[in-house]
Order: sequence, then C-alpha cells, then structure tokens
Amino acid sequence: MADLKAVRDPHTILPALYRRAAIDAVGKLDPRFLVRNPVMFTVEIGSIITTLLFLQSLSGNGEAPAGFIGAIAAWLWFTVLFANFAEALAEGRGKAQAEALRRMRQDTLAKKLYLGYAIGMGKEPSEPDYAVVSSSTLHRSDLFYVKAGDTIPVDGEVVEGVASVNESAITGESAPVIRESGGDRSAVTGGTVILSDWLVVRVSANPGEGFLDHMIGLIEGAKRQKTPNEIALNILLIGLTAVFIVICATLYAFSRYSVDAAGEGIPVSVTVLVALFVCLAPTTIGGLLSAIGIAGMDRLIRRNVITTSGRAIEAAGDVDVLLLDKTGTITLGNRQAVDLIPVDGTALPDLAEAAQLASLADETPEGRSIVVLVKEKYGLRGRTVGATDTAGGMQFIPFSSHTRMSGVDFGGVQIRKGAADAMFSSLRKCGQPDVSGELRRAVDGIAQAGGTPLVVTKGGKALGVIHLKDIVKGGIKERFAQLRRMGIKTVMITGDNRLTAATIAAEAGVDDFLAEATPESKLSLIREYQEGGRMVAMTGDGTNDAPALAQADVAVAMNTGTQPAREAANMVDLDSNPTKLIEIVEIGKQLLMTRGALTTFSIANDVAKYFAIIPVAFMSTYPALAGLNIMGLRHGILAAVIFNALIIVALIPLALHGVTYRPMTAEEALRRNIIIFGIGGLVVPFIGIKIIDLLLVLVGG
Amino acid sequence: MADEPLLTILWQQLRPALVLFLLLTVVTGVLYPLVITGIAQLAFPVPANGDLIEQEGKIVGSAHIGQPFVSPRYFWGRPSATLPVAYNAMVSSGSNLGPSSPGLENAVRTRVSTLRAADPENPLPVPVDLVTASGSGLDPDISVAAAYYQVPRIARERNLGEQDVRALVSRYTEPRQFWIFGEPRVNVLTLNLGLDRMSESGVVPAPLDVPDPFSSPALGMRMTDWIVLLLFIGIFIVTVVPLGRFMYRVFTGQKNLLSPVIDPAERWLLAAAGISNGDEMDWKAFSVAMLVLSIISIAFVFLLLEVQGFLPLNPAGTGPVARDVAFNTAVSFATNTNWQAYIPETTVSYLTQMIGLAVQNFMSSAVGVAVLIGLVLGLTRKSASTIGNFWVLLIRSTLILLPISFILALLLISQGTVQTFGGPVTVPLLDPVQDATGGTVTTQTLPLGPVASQVAIKMLGTNGGGFFNANSAHPFENPSPFSNFLENVTILLIPSALCYTFGKMAGAGRKGIAILLAMTLLFLPLLWLAISAELGGNPAFPALGVDQNMTALQPGGNMEGKEARFGIVPSALFAVVTTVTSCGAVNAMHDSFTPLGGAVLLFDMMLGEVVFGGIGSGLYGMLVFVIIAMFIAGLMVGRTPEYLGKKIEPYEMKIATAIILIPIILILSTTAAAVMTGAGRAAVFNPGPHGFSEILYAFTSAAQNNGSAFAGLSAESSFYTLATAVCMLVGRYAVAVLTLALAGSFVRKKIVPEGSGTLREYRPLFILWLVFVILIIGALSFFPVLALGPVVEHLIPVFGSAIHG
Repeated sequence: MADLKAVRDPHTILPALYRRAAIDAVGKLDPRFLVRNPVMFTVEIGSIITTLLFLQSLSGNGEAPAGFIGAIAAWLWFTVLFANFAEALAEGRGKAQAEALRRMRQDTLAKKLYLGYAIGMGKEPSEPDYAVVSSSTLHRSDLFYVKAGDTIPVDGEVVEGVASVNESAITGESAPVIRESGGDRSAVTGGTVILSDWLVVRVSANPGEGFLDHMIGLIEGAKRQKTPNEIALNILLIGLTAVFIVICATLYAFSRYSVDAAGEGIPVSVTVLVALFVCLAPTTIGGLLSAIGIAGMDRLIRRNVITTSGRAIEAAGDVDVLLLDKTGTITLGNRQAVDLIPVDGTALPDLAEAAQLASLADETPEGRSIVVLVKEKYGLRGRTVGATDTAGGMQFIPFSSHTRMSGVDFGGVQIRKGAADAMFSSLRKCGQPDVSGELRRAVDGIAQAGGTPLVVTKGGKALGVIHLKDIVKGGIKERFAQLRRMGIKTVMITGDNRLTAATIAAEAGVDDFLAEATPESKLSLIREYQEGGRMVAMTGDGTNDAPALAQADVAVAMNTGTQPAREAANMVDLDSNPTKLIEIVEIGKQLLMTRGALTTFSIANDVAKYFAIIPVAFMSTYPALAGLNIMGLRHGILAAVIFNALIIVALIPLALHGVTYRPMTAEEALRRNIIIFGIGGLVVPFIGIKIIDLLLVLVGG
Repeated sequence: MADEPLLTILWQQLRPALVLFLLLTVVTGVLYPLVITGIAQLAFPVPANGDLIEQEGKIVGSAHIGQPFVSPRYFWGRPSATLPVAYNAMVSSGSNLGPSSPGLENAVRTRVSTLRAADPENPLPVPVDLVTASGSGLDPDISVAAAYYQVPRIARERNLGEQDVRALVSRYTEPRQFWIFGEPRVNVLTLNLGLDRMSESGVVPAPLDVPDPFSSPALGMRMTDWIVLLLFIGIFIVTVVPLGRFMYRVFTGQKNLLSPVIDPAERWLLAAAGISNGDEMDWKAFSVAMLVLSIISIAFVFLLLEVQGFLPLNPAGTGPVARDVAFNTAVSFATNTNWQAYIPETTVSYLTQMIGLAVQNFMSSAVGVAVLIGLVLGLTRKSASTIGNFWVLLIRSTLILLPISFILALLLISQGTVQTFGGPVTVPLLDPVQDATGGTVTTQTLPLGPVASQVAIKMLGTNGGGFFNANSAHPFENPSPFSNFLENVTILLIPSALCYTFGKMAGAGRKGIAILLAMTLLFLPLLWLAISAELGGNPAFPALGVDQNMTALQPGGNMEGKEARFGIVPSALFAVVTTVTSCGAVNAMHDSFTPLGGAVLLFDMMLGEVVFGGIGSGLYGMLVFVIIAMFIAGLMVGRTPEYLGKKIEPYEMKIATAIILIPIILILSTTAAAVMTGAGRAAVFNPGPHGFSEILYAFTSAAQNNGSAFAGLSAESSFYTLATAVCMLVGRYAVAVLTLALAGSFVRKKIVPEGSGTLREYRPLFILWLVFVILIIGALSFFPVLALGPVVEHLIPVFGSAIHG
C-alpha cells in the first residue's frame, strides 16, 4: 500500500530528486518542448546562434575572440538548463507523489455484479451474482461488491451495505471510517481497504477519469493547464521579450550608423546583441514561471488537498467571501451544557440530580455534556446505566428526535428533559394548564442569549432549565480578523434560528451569517454574492451541499462527503478539515504573489544589465560611453550573462516554496514586495555583477 | 448592434460622419475664426494687424518682428538663421544647429570676432544672445546686457557720448512683463529708430530706472522663474477640479454652466446627423465611427491642400502642395500630431489653415477625448455592452473646446498675436542688407493671417501645428512673455482636468487626482533636468569669449534657438510641457537644446505621451499603463488583478501589452529603417550622435503623435513624409482602436466591490508604483538609443572622443 506521508517530506528523497531533475533539464532542451515557454525558447535560439558563431570563430575568422563567444554561448546554455532544472525539480516532487498515488490505483481484482443483482433489498451478493474482473474494466454505473479484507478497486458510491473502511492510504488518518449507503457517508475511494462487513458500490468514474487520475495528471504536470493569471502574465512576458528582440535587432542598425557618424570603431557583434537580449528578456520569471505553478499545486497536495484544476487554486487567492459551516468549523461539533437554572422554588441540587438522571440515556454529545456539567459543577457522580438499570427499577427513555426528549421512569416518577416547546406541551398534557412565568422567562432568557434551553421536569412539574451553548473554537476569532485584513468576508452558515446564529456570529467574530440555512438559501446566497462580483468559497460534505458547491467559485468537499458533493466541488480535502479552506486561500495568494514578485524582480534587474553591457558594447565607437560604466567593470557582458543565469538557480527555492506569506492588507503586501523585489531587484544585480566581474578578473585577468 | 457585419456598421456611420464633419467644419472653421476676427478688428485693431510702427505717417516695421542690422552705426540684433537672408519673415526658422555641432561653434566664433572687430577695445565677454541665433529668426529683442555691450561701438560710430547712448538703452528697455514674466529686453528696431531720432535731434532722453524687483538669484534660478513655475502649477491646482467637474457634467449629460448653449447646439447637430442621444454604440461601432470621420478628415485636408490655389482667401497665392507632403500633413493634423513637413508661410492659404488645419485641431482633439470617455465608460459601467455614442461625445468635446479657445484667442490678440484676413504687409528695412548674391534687400514682407484663433486651439487641443514655421517661437504667434505663459498653461489645461473628470466618472475624484499626481511626479524631475541643462549653457562657448552667466541683465544659458523675450526657464518649461503632452508646439528650437535637455524632450515622448499626454489620448494611454501596473501589483498582493473593480484577464493583458508595445516597436523599427537607408541618412543636418538623435526624434514624435521636431532634419523628403505618416497613423489609430477594444471588453465585466483585499489605486504607494512602472518601461525600451544619441553627445566633452589606451 502506498503511503503519501512518505513523499510529503521532500527532504527524504532530495538527492534522487536533484539527480532526476538534472537529467530531465537536458531532455527539456528539445525545442518542440521548449517552444511552449516562449521566453526560454528565444534564449535557446540565442544559445544556438552564439554556439554557431563560436564554431565559426574557431576557424579563425570569428566576429570576436573565440574564448569570449564560447563563454557567452556556454552561459546561455546554462541559462536554459537552469530554467529547465527548476521546472524539472518542481515536476519531480510532483511525480514522486504521483507515483505513490498511482500505486494505489494499480489494477486490482474487482467483483463486478451482474445486471441481475437487484439493489435496495439489503441482500449481500453471493458467488453467482458476480464475476471477478480487472478493476480497469469497470465503467461508470457498474456495480461491484467488496467485503472485509478487499481493496476497493475504484471510486464509487455505496448503494448497499455498511462497512468500516481504512482510508489511511489517502488521508494518513489511521482510524477507520464508516461507509454506508445513502446519507453523507456514501463515497468510497479506490485504493482504500474494507475492514469489516461488505458493500455494494456503484462506480462513479470511467477508467482514467477518477479523482486520483486527475490528481496524478495535475501533479505530474502533464495535464497542467495554464491558469488565467499565468496566461495573462505570460502575455506580458512575451510582449517584453518581443520588445527586447526589436531593441537588440535595431541596435545593430544604430551601431552601424554610429560607426559611420563617429568615423571610428566597428559595429556591435551579434554575440553581444544576443547576450544583451538574453540579459534583458525576463528569463528569471520566464524560467521559473511553470515551476511556481507546479510547486503551488504541490503545496496544496502536501496539505492533503487535491484539486481538479489549477484554476481553482488561483481562484482561491481571489476569494472574497468564505462560507463556513458553523458546526465543526466555527464551533466545536456539539453544544455543551453550561448552566442550570432552577425555577419555581426548586433547589439547585434537585434540579441537578433530575437533569443528570434524565440525561443518562441520552447518548448525544449534548446529553453527555449535561452529565459532565452536573458532575463537575455539582459533584454528583455519574451512574452507570447498566448498573442501576435493573437494580433501581429504572426505565430509561432514550432521546429520540421525534419526541425531542429523554428521561427516566424511576420509581413511578417520570423525569424528563427536552426541548422547551416539546416540554411545554407535555406539561400541558400532564394537567398543568399554564407554564409558570418564571420558567418562561428563564427559557426566553437563554434563547435570547443564543443558547438552547432544555426544560427538566419531574412528575409533571417543571424543575428548571438547562442552558446549552455552542462552544466557539479557540483562536478562530483571530483567524477571522486576519481574513478580514486580507479583505475576505466570513459568513457562517447554520441551521440555527437567527437569534442563536447572531449570538455565535458575534462571539466568533464572523462578518455575517445565514441562519436557518437550507440548500436553496445557501445557493441563493452564493449567487447573490457572485452577482455583486465577489468570489465565493465554501466547504461542504452532504449531497444537499452539491448545488451550492457547484455554484461556488472555490468548493472544497470533505473526503468523508458524498460522491455528489465531491463531484460538485473542485477540491477535495482528504483530512476533511473544514478550516482547511483558509489554508487553501493562503496557498492561492502565495502562488500569485510569487509570480508578481519574481516578475518585478526580473524587470528591475535589467537596469543594471544595461549599465554593464552598453558601455562595453559600444566602446570602440564611443569610448565616452565609459561614463556609463558606473560599476567599473572589466568583463561587463560576460558578468551580466553569468549573473542572469545564476540568479535563476538562486531563486529556485523561492519559486518552489513561494514568497513568505503573512496575512496582511493589500497595501502592506504590496509595500513589502515592492521593497524586497522592486528595490531589491534594482540593487542586487549591481552588486552581483560587480562581484562576478571581480571573480572573472581574478580568474582571467 | 454587436453582431452586425462591419460593412453595415460602416454604412450606418457614414451619414452622421459626413453631416457632422460638414457642420463642425462650418462651426469651427468658418464661424469661429470669423467672429474672432470681427471682434479683433473692432477691439484690438493695432495688435490684430501686426502692431505696425508708424513714423511720420509711414509704416517702418512691426513692433514684434525684428529687422537685420549690419551697419556698425546701428545696434545689432540676434543672429538670424532664416534663408536666403537674415530676418526673412516669410520663412521663419532657427538654425537647428545641434549643441555639439562644429557649425555652431564656428558660427559663434565668427560672430564673436565680428563683434570684436567692430569694437576692438571692448574687453568684455559677449552676451550669449548676441551670438546665438534666435528660434524664429525674427526675434525683435536682445537682452539688456547685449544692448549695453554695443554702447561703446555705437557711441564711437555716431560720435555720441556713451552715457547718452546708455540712457537711450535704458529708455528703451522693456521690463519683465507684470514684473515676473520673461526677460527684460530691448526691441532693436525701436531702439535703432530712437537712436536715429536722437542722432538727428540731439535730444538725449532721460535715463529710466527699470524696476526689476524679483530678479535676484535663488536656488539656481531667478526668483522670477520660481514665481512663474509656482504660478504655473498653482493655476492647475485651481482649475483642475472646476474644469474637470464641468467636463464631467457635460459628458454625462448633466446640467452645467454652458447648458443653455451646449444643449440646444447638441440637439441641433444630432438631429441634423440623424442620431438620437440615446443611441449607444458597442466598441466596434464606436471604432468604425471614429475611423470613418478620420478618413473623411484626411481626405478633405489632402484635397484642400491640392486645390487651395483655386479657392479664395489665398493672399500669398500658394498653389497645390506636393502630394506626399499633402498626405503627410493631412494625416498629421487628423492624428493630432501636427508634424509639419511644410513651411506654412509659403505653402498653405488662409482658407486651408482655417477650414482644413484649424478644424482638425478641434476635431482630432475631440476624437481623442471621445475615445477616452469611451474607455472610461467601459471601465465604469457594470455588465453592459456599449461604451457611449461617439458622435455625442465628439460634439460635447468640441463644444467644450470652443468657448475656451475663444477666450484664449482674444487674450492672445491683446498681447499682439495677429488675427486678420489681410494679406502679407511689406515694410522697409531701416538698414538695408545684402543677400547672398550681392543684391540689396530693402524690404521685409510680414506674413499675417487669422493666427490667434488657430493658435488658441493649437495649444488647447495639444495639437501644436504652427500657423507659421517657427511655431510659438514666432513673434506673431507668441508675441509676449505673458502670451507665452498663457499658451504654456493652455496646453495642460484640459489634459490635467480630464484626470478629475475621469475620477468623477469612476466614482471618486481622488482616483483621477491620483493619476494626475503620478503624472506630476514624472513631470517635475524631467522639468528640473531640462531647466538645469539649458541654464548650464554650451560647454564649448566660454572658451570663445561668450558670457553665458545668468545676470539681472541677461538670461545666459543655452540661448541658441531661443527667443530673447522668453529666456531660458520659460523656454525649457514650454519644451518639456509640449513634449510630455503630445502638443508639439515649440517656442524654441529643440534641435539646439543641450544634449541632456534634448534627451529629456525625447524621453518625455518615449514615456508614451502619458505624462498629461495628448488631450484624451494621454489619459487613455495612462490608463493602459495603470492597468499594466495594476496587473503586476495585483499579483504581488496575491489576487487576480483588478482595476476599478474589473478583473484584468488574459484578453485585457493582450490588448494592454499591445498598446504599450506598438509605439515602442514602431519607433525603433522605423528609426532603424531610416539609418539603414540612404534616404534616411541624407536628411540628417547635424553630424555625429546628434544626427542620430534627429532621426530618432522624428519617429518618436510621429509615433507618439507629438509633432515637435529636431527640425534640422529635412523631413520634407518623400522617405520621411511617408514613413512618418505611417508612424502617425499606426501610433494613433491602432492604439485608439485597441483602447476601444479594451473598453468593449471591460464594459462586459462585473464590478467587484472594494474591500480591504483590494489594492486601492489612489493611495500613495500605488501612485509611486505606477511612476516606477512607466519609468522602467520607458527606460528599458530606450536606454540603448538614448545612449547612442544624446547621452553620448553629452559625455563626449566630458570623457573625450579618443579611444582609450
């Protein structure tokens, strides 16, 4: 079985990655491949031209000393190779992960059910119902049967049966999960293993179209399509490259004119023009652009999120509205009892005991929290249900969502606790015509504070009220404040009533909330935001989330979710962690920032390169241009070309890891990046080229 | 409308194009100059007809046009480079000698030695304006220092006391206008007339103390220069908001100051053209309308130039213009470039100037503004498909330009700009001179015409095509320091206010002000550089015994090609303003600027004519730069870039990149073609790197629709007329149509509301970033050519031209 964890840490396989990337870099010199990256393609053409000039110069009639042309040609080749290496390295990390994934997808045997098998009968298929086939022959809508110990051959949706499944292969989580037909836990992923029981599963994707296939294609880079921002940036880079070609080509004409006008010197050599062009062309960003994109995808995968398109990651950076489910994301999964309020003269310990007794049979988290509260706050020990069941003559009435109450009959006395309105009507049935004013006030008070009141009765008389409250996750408020600074609005989605929702919204610090949410209201809320020009992200797991997920710009389905939800979404979180959305947004932003920062750096670099090359290039015609040689270079052209090549290598780590991301406002982010990459981009090459020039002087004089 | 074939759209736009072309020609080409001439002749009969000087009932010259003086008995004026004789008023012109030209050095050396020979005992260094040719060749003035320098010679020649001659000079010294404008100066013709009278009568005038309260030097310039610069900026601080708001109200059809006039006029024009106000156009129809009008304009002006000989209002009797020059001129005026490959005084009739060229001055500016408003509507409308109606916007722009031109024309006439239908006037020369063939020239012919009405719109519409060859250096176009200030201010009036108009349309004036600030941040350092370069003078001159120092009595600095009444700072200011905008009018000869001064002017244009830029076109070019800057900045903040809430996607980047790149590629490739061909090289006037600058300047100016020139270049050869025409056409229409396509794409987009994740384009940080992006694109594109042209020309005197080692 494959283990993603192993490849999640790239350091474990670093040397192998480098070796492979170095080999791939050479392979990528193939012009048919390189033409997809126009900037580097032009550099390769420049390399070929200078190489030919070098060969010509070896015969003794070159346009410049052979040593010079040869050095330039070599470094131009290095420039292309370094860029290829960056891309290969990024792809290599993806490939390692893809291989791990592919092993999961390897052909397994599948028990394909014949058409005769009828679903919906709850009948476990037996030998005559199926044939054993290769998993690669399974198509969408086919049914297959798996039982304990089998590996689930392909993705699908459970249509019959309940089973526990080990999904650690893709989630890294060792606890088994329950998969059953219907509801929100019906999706199974190929490669996972059934631990108990059996399932009948309907295949959800044709061979090669499953989620894993998508993911493998994406991280390998084969299927990677350029994202809109990447295309737009590429257009700008091609435009700049075109201008620099024109600048360098026309410079030959201007140089010839200058020679005639000054009456001395020789026209600038083609080698120098090619060198100038390569230095000016945005090779830094052009060479690293695809590596940045692949690395972005890679970062997402290392956070256990798989996506069906690169577009989705980029869109994540643009999100302005996050729709977050209250439960599980903003609050801990369940409400907890926090207080007991006795009414009508009841003593607190009596209420506490009654509340505890009434809750013993309530296995819901709320019920358990009442027992815990009573134990911790009032010192009453919990009684074990089994122990007192027969001994005390207790008869437990478990919680049911129908009656919305639970309780115990204890020595002929009915002790009950339940939702306020349900309890009120049961009190009335017990001959209590009016609910006392004090009780009503207590109930209303809790409801107004956003809590859930549970009324406790004993023998048809109300003793008091239990205050249940949603518990907001620690640190979530600060997280939302960060998002707000980044310009992202958080909206809490909850089935609660407005009052409860408003209280929790205030406590958690979300910007807005949708109370009493239904699938329709979620969908219309998303549409409303999108009409207003906003980009909406949401998470979901249930089938009824599917329409909203399909509508949202960035939709993250929980891996535990249903197949429809996973299909409607454009990302799946293998960890099924709803707060992951925030990290996805950050990765999206980081991806764009890295591109912008390197573009700025690349363009700003050109200033220094001009000062390095122009004075030397026209020295023979206009010695006075030495006035522009402000760095005092001896080998300006070669130093600039070497710097241009080495800076690509120096920036590979940045391209792969992304620029440091911190939540901050747009203005702060821009200031930071302009200072580092704009001003830095102006200054660094002056220093770098000077140092390289000094080294060249040391080496060659 | 969107799916209709182009031919159908073309057919639909033909009628409005023809009708409106005709009607607007009548309004701006006939009614407008007629009314102004009428008022001028009634209210300002003397200045409107050339400020002719009468003495004993005879006309002896014009107060604004200098005359040649060679006799040592007379004060000599500025050297004049006009051909075939000096001070030939029918062909106004500067020398166009470059700062490093040996021709210039020789000319100055000769003039110094002539002066020294005429007055061997005078040990003083020669004031620079006395040995450098003026911009117009007709400069009537010399500096006070230049007049005093000649006093010993005059006194000796005329047997007068030096004190008396000094008293006469002081008597004829004109102070700075309103204490701050221009230079104190002496009109050589009136001084010599006074000198003759004094010699005859023996009556010595009492010396006059000329007040010059602000002439003390301050921070490298004079106090007056600082005051004028501050006043210059101050005017825009005052006008931008009200004028911008006024235009906003006009363009959005709201009630405004001129509604009582504009609304009925607009209704009437639209009705005549068969358009209803609500007819909206998508970008294609908008572009077709613009192109149809432009084609009609080019065809009309071309025809007019060919048949003007048969038409009235042709007092100089000009005939048909050479076809290529006519085509170049027609394209030049329709594209708002106003590159002039012809000598107006001898080439075009008054009628051509009025109904051909001046009409295009209005129309091409209005087209620029209409395209701008189309883009702004595209950027600000939400999920729409149309970007306004070209014809409505064209009419509204014209109706904004008309009243301002009207006021400016009258102000100029009050200063001495001529406005008449009368033909050229011949005046006698006080000191007859010999021409090259040895014949004696006794008269000077002064060209006149309906000048002020045309100059007003030439400045206001950032057109720049002079009524006369010397453009705004010509004393009849720009007679006084104050008229110069007015003309200078007018260039920037609308381009600056349009920023605010844009801001209002985008929902907040500050969005426009931010762009205006970015423009200003680019403008001020360039201005500073040009002023300091020009004040520094020519490094070769001190060795020749020329005094280039700035004193209370002379401007000093690099006076070659500059007029004495303006001096250095106003000339440098005018030059920078005219090149950062796409105006191209000149009040000094750019070819003779110092290498660094000339480099600034070149670079101004190379920035893309977006620092204020042409009327309308400057701001739409700037908005494209904003989009590019926003794109990179947007990436750096980690969001799909957006501007005004509209996402910038691959399609928009494709167009925006093309808009920025087209002029750059155009300039470099045509310059390369010129330097590779004999025809291209043959036109060069100045040797060395300066010759390269001349070619580069020509194509930069044409592609960016500026129209100014390093005028030494013989641009009338058919290689240049055709090559520059192509540059002008592509630089104007390819960019305009792409801009409209951009508008058409943006207009369909939703508007993302502003949040704290949005990058605010009006905050200081983005303004600085925008400045950085514009500078770096301009610098990276043109670093090598600037290095091979003006930069090396500047460096040679410093680092020498000999090969090291």
